Amino acid sequence: MSVILWTVLAVSLVLLAVFLVARLSRGVLPALDLPPGESLPTTRMQRLAFRALCLGVPLIAAAGGIVAWFGPTVYYDDDSVRLPVTFLLIAGMMVLAAPTLLAGAWVGRDGVLDERDRAILSRAPAGQAAAILIVLAVWIIGLQESYRGQPGIPRVFLYLIFWSCVEVSLLASNIGILIGYRRA
Amino acid sequence: MPKATIRNHLRTLRFEAGEMTQQGLADRVGCTRQTIVLLEQGRYVPSLVLALRIARTFGRTVEEVFELVEDR
Repeated sequence: MSVILWTVLAVSLVLLAVFLVARLSRGVLPALDLPPGESLPTTRMQRLAFRALCLGVPLIAAAGGIVAWFGPTVYYDDDSVRLPVTFLLIAGMMVLAAPTLLAGAWVGRDGVLDERDRAILSRAPAGQAAAILIVLAVWIIGLQESYRGQPGIPRVFLYLIFWSCVEVSLLASNIGILIGYRRA
Repeated sequence: MPKATIRNHLRTLRFEAGEMTQQGLADRVGCTRQTIVLLEQGRYVPSLVLALRIARTFGRTVEEVFELVEDR
């Protein structure tokens, strides 16, 4: 099976794992009883994490799409492909890291984050380690199977493994923040 | 240990305090409006600090604002 399909499988497994963990660990809470026409107000942290995902996911998807379209070898050898992809990955990383970085700056300031925000932020990274492990496992298995019998695995995959771990880790953190607000 | 839930009288106390808004209470006790909504809905249990701040805002004791209900 091609490495691209393995990558898609990895991302799907990570998302499925995050979803299952969220569903299984959700406590039984009373249903929200709000006046007609009223919805639960969102917090600054929620809006930030949501916007980060809305901006970051397309950037990462675009980078992945370019690598998938041209192939890992062309990505590695051709600067006209590698530089834009690297730019997209760095931009995606910065966008997705923004909520965590801003939260760190806000923690010490009164009135920005309340106790519930802090509790949710402290739990948000819970899925990051699992997400990274799943991505690494799928990469390793996929590359082993794809290059079985060959003398080596192209070095380009070192970059791709690194970037996929970084981006999935940040995705999991932001998704963890949003899930935390839904169930807390 | 029997299962326990926390009931509160926040909504009633807000209305008694000159129809204080949820945002107004949130600003006074240092939390978000979402936290106040979830507190009133019984979906969030505040920390001791937040509970004391809320009680102080209404000029009541913590026990007058929050009630421990144990299932037997």
